[in-house]
Amino acid sequence: MALTEDRPLALPSGDSNDGYTPTGVFTRPTAETGPRSWFTTVDHKKIGIMYGAAAIFFFIIGGVEALLIRMQLWAPRGSLLSANLYNQVYTMHGTTMVFLVVMPIGAAFANYLIPLQIGARDVAFPRINAFSFWAFLAGGLFLNSSWLLGGGADGGWFMYAPNSGVIFSPTHGVDFWNFGLIITGIASLTGAVNLIVTVLNMRAPGMTLMRMPIFTWMALVSQFLLLFAIPVLTSAQVLLMLDRGFDANFFNVAKGANPLLWEHLFWIFGHPEVYLMILPAFGLVSEILPTFARKPIFGYPFIVFSGIAIGFMGWGVWAHHMFVSGIGPISVTAFSLTTMFIAVPTGVKILNWTATMWGGKLNFSAPMLFSIGLVTMFTIGGLSGVMHSVAPMDTQQTDTYFIVAHFHYVLFGGAFFGFMAGFYFYWPKAFGYMLNESIGKANFWLMLLGFNLTFAPMHVLGLQGMSRRIYTYDAGYGFEFWNKVATIGAFTLAASIALFIFNIFYSKSKAKTLPPVGPDPWDSRTIEWMTPSPTPAYNFDPIPTVTRVDDFWYRKYGETKDGKLVRIASTAEVAQQRTDGKGIHLPSPSYWPLVLAFGLPIVAYGIIFSLWLALIGGIVVLAAIYGWVMEPPDDPDLAHDDHGPEAHASDGGDAAVPDSADAVKEVETVG
Amino acid sequence: MQRLPKIVRILAVISFTAVVVLFAALIVNSFQNSGKPLTSLAPEGPSAESIQKLVIPVTAIAGIVFVLVIGAIVFITWKFRERKDSDPDEFPSQIHGQTTLEIGWTILPALILAGIAVGTVMTIINLNREEPNSIKVQVAGQQWWWEYRYDLNGDGNFAGPEDITTATELVIPAGKPVQVTTTSNDVIHSFWIPGLNGKKDAVPGLYNPLKLQADEPGVFRGQCTEFCGLSHANMRMLVRAVSSSDYDAWVRNQLKDHAADPTNPVAAEGKKVWQALCAQCHVIKGINDVKMKETPPPLVAGVAPDLTHFMTRGTFAGSIFNLYEPVSSDGQPLPMSDVAAAGDPGAVLTGGQVNTATVNRVTLEAWLRNAPALKPMYPQGGRGMPNLNLTEEQIDQLVAFLETLN
Repeated sequence: MALTEDRPLALPSGDSNDGYTPTGVFTRPTAETGPRSWFTTVDHKKIGIMYGAAAIFFFIIGGVEALLIRMQLWAPRGSLLSANLYNQVYTMHGTTMVFLVVMPIGAAFANYLIPLQIGARDVAFPRINAFSFWAFLAGGLFLNSSWLLGGGADGGWFMYAPNSGVIFSPTHGVDFWNFGLIITGIASLTGAVNLIVTVLNMRAPGMTLMRMPIFTWMALVSQFLLLFAIPVLTSAQVLLMLDRGFDANFFNVAKGANPLLWEHLFWIFGHPEVYLMILPAFGLVSEILPTFARKPIFGYPFIVFSGIAIGFMGWGVWAHHMFVSGIGPISVTAFSLTTMFIAVPTGVKILNWTATMWGGKLNFSAPMLFSIGLVTMFTIGGLSGVMHSVAPMDTQQTDTYFIVAHFHYVLFGGAFFGFMAGFYFYWPKAFGYMLNESIGKANFWLMLLGFNLTFAPMHVLGLQGMSRRIYTYDAGYGFEFWNKVATIGAFTLAASIALFIFNIFYSKSKAKTLPPVGPDPWDSRTIEWMTPSPTPAYNFDPIPTVTRVDDFWYRKYGETKDGKLVRIASTAEVAQQRTDGKGIHLPSPSYWPLVLAFGLPIVAYGIIFSLWLALIGGIVVLAAIYGWVMEPPDDPDLAHDDHGPEAHASDGGDAAVPDSADAVKEVETVG
Repeated sequence: MQRLPKIVRILAVISFTAVVVLFAALIVNSFQNSGKPLTSLAPEGPSAESIQKLVIPVTAIAGIVFVLVIGAIVFITWKFRERKDSDPDEFPSQIHGQTTLEIGWTILPALILAGIAVGTVMTIINLNREEPNSIKVQVAGQQWWWEYRYDLNGDGNFAGPEDITTATELVIPAGKPVQVTTTSNDVIHSFWIPGLNGKKDAVPGLYNPLKLQADEPGVFRGQCTEFCGLSHANMRMLVRAVSSSDYDAWVRNQLKDHAADPTNPVAAEGKKVWQALCAQCHVIKGINDVKMKETPPPLVAGVAPDLTHFMTRGTFAGSIFNLYEPVSSDGQPLPMSDVAAAGDPGAVLTGGQVNTATVNRVTLEAWLRNAPALKPMYPQGGRGMPNLNLTEEQIDQLVAFLETLN
């Protein structure tokens, strides 16, 4: 039985039957609905939803780890966790939250929204998109399987050499960390390439770069950061792998290595990483604030260019993580100054958001509350960031709880509040029902309370000397009170997350009794709200022609010269109707992304435990690549010779576009 | 579910009020630094003071910006909220931006930051200027304690016969500059005495400078702040700043070896136990000038603290336990949990005899009975003290011997 056929791995489907009998191992999957369809889907929306669901699953794991940490630190000399277990738990908490929660939630929104916001049918490479998701999931599950196979990594998410070497960390935890993140790194890298190509090549007619929704802009910057940052981490991890497995001596001090090499490599990745995590949330908030202020974003070009500026400047600040590592005073000064001035574009964003709200007619829906939450909480994180950009101050603050407070204000108060805003905002678009608004508001206030109770006291704990990454502290240092407050706060935070998950199920059960949400429940601005909710597989029918920023808004409203808004069309008139999608050519599902992605952890287990297993994994990977390559881009028996006249916007996006290009039916998608 | 909006309003009020109260309490608390031996906000030496001179204005500027931005947002959300009776078809004025304003609020923060930058650069220069005539000490971290080597004769060598090697506690004269060089014998650690200066990483293979100076005599505590493995939390340090005359007496005592046999017969037995077991890893100059065991694989320090003048220290085991009972003002021993009060060697520091009644025998014996039970360590990998399975008699003999190490 051959792995592939003359007509490789594609089965006739539909009515055409030319007598061809397949004997291949796999037939090309055809299911578009049902549970099985999720495993083979190449639909960017389903993949986006799976990214989100997987990230929430890992968020619960990382959250339980956080609660264990807080319970251990409830009182001096906590005895819940041993030193060894605590070190694993805090390492895995940080790793999980960064790589398996915040990054994939950003990827979830980027996957779901970018094609919709730019008026595309799907991403540029749908099968690679599916592969990105499955590889992320495979890497995340592989990483967490370390708990069952000898314990998690114990070197901190930063995994400094030489503490990460075999001598100091003899269990396989670090290996799992290393390979798990190499696999999720492959996922991020392929995803970044995919989304960059999508944004640059697949915008709807008239969608110039400076007409793109701000979320797409911020996600684009974020993908460029991924594209350049992830390879640095992966390279460093390959060095660590060679060190641990094959005595390569990259970080062996006894053989003349300088352990600062790892620190530099890690933070050249690590600081752009921070910005690529926060920028998608900035993008979401930039969509939500104007919607609920009933005003356009204040200073679209400033918001866009400050995001790009952050993307560039983010590469020149990494050594602020190393002010006390022994780099010379000139380096310290230089990185201190660059770090200070990256606050400028960030500050511009805060002020532009504030100005967006000024003079508006503010509707405090749940998404709006979470967005305002981001603006305020991120401001605190930004200001504490300026405080330790002052290198001499940082020598007192670094590696204390002050830093823990700072980056949780950035990543939870910033990124995660933005994601919560995005969940509440886009839920009706993705699932066709609204999350309950009252529970949503309660969710916000509980989260605001829990978040501040947990992390605000850490500022003072850090300034008063509590070091990070300690599994125990003694009485007599004055740490007791605020640690108790923080632990109470952590459980309040957990309650707010539970309320969110409850809201999902509660609202779904209530949705049957409520009228359908319609395409545009919030009276929104950008073209994804033209599509029916939930969005059909083909996204748009027909593809709209874009004439300005907030194109959908200006199909509904006109603006007089003195800034007065007048309704010119009802939402029903300008929104798209659900069609049967006939004649719209979409990419076919495929098994190969899933097979290829799950071949990678088999290789990794093999390198750790037995090279024979690695050989099997390698065969799976090679077979999957072969099958993938031989698979035609889509089902050859489906008629698809009716390509539209104008498939996608040109690179610059400023090509002359006929006014009635709404007739365009089709966008080319290849695997 | 009908009453939910009301519950949400109450929750909003509670949450908002609680956060405001919390922030106020934290601000007040950051000024209360007594009884907090690790606080960075109560500088007691010139380097820490020069950092504090930055902390105050920078924090004040951050605080003002915070109040302005948060105040503006609270004001805006109040003033521009959608009223219940508002016409749903009425829209606010559609402002797309204001370039002059936006350029203004790009330049203004840049100017404020430029001001902070000037102060920052001057302080960096100041903190990196080596003081003339400073005492030179090399501080080496290893899992999970600190070793101090004093270059007394200024020949650049920290391990000559004229020099001092000690551990756990750094003794310095108050009012005199000390130039510390941090390094490590295994993984990266970080040396941090918040009262005296910021921290500096101890990186294997590197020699990083750090200035320390205490204004007044006193005890200054610290904590390793770079994650260094299993017992990172238990890697503490202690600087004992003493008067110049005490320091000179301490130096003279430290330069002595321990050659004489103990007069107490129990202690004499203890010395034999020492020679058979402890001397494998530890050094007492005059008894065994070098440890007997071969150094384990590269990168692992494979050494244990030099105990030549063990009793002159107030703490042991990486400064997590007191060697002397802390005594309250009325002469009663304080509970061990109150580690803020570091053990005080008193006159033993400068070579006086040990008053055995003040020694914290309970903890010292427990340590000798099973050290890894008191402090997580990895003796099978050459890091930390193993459980030596000593008999109670051996423990008593060893303690008696250790008490002679003044």
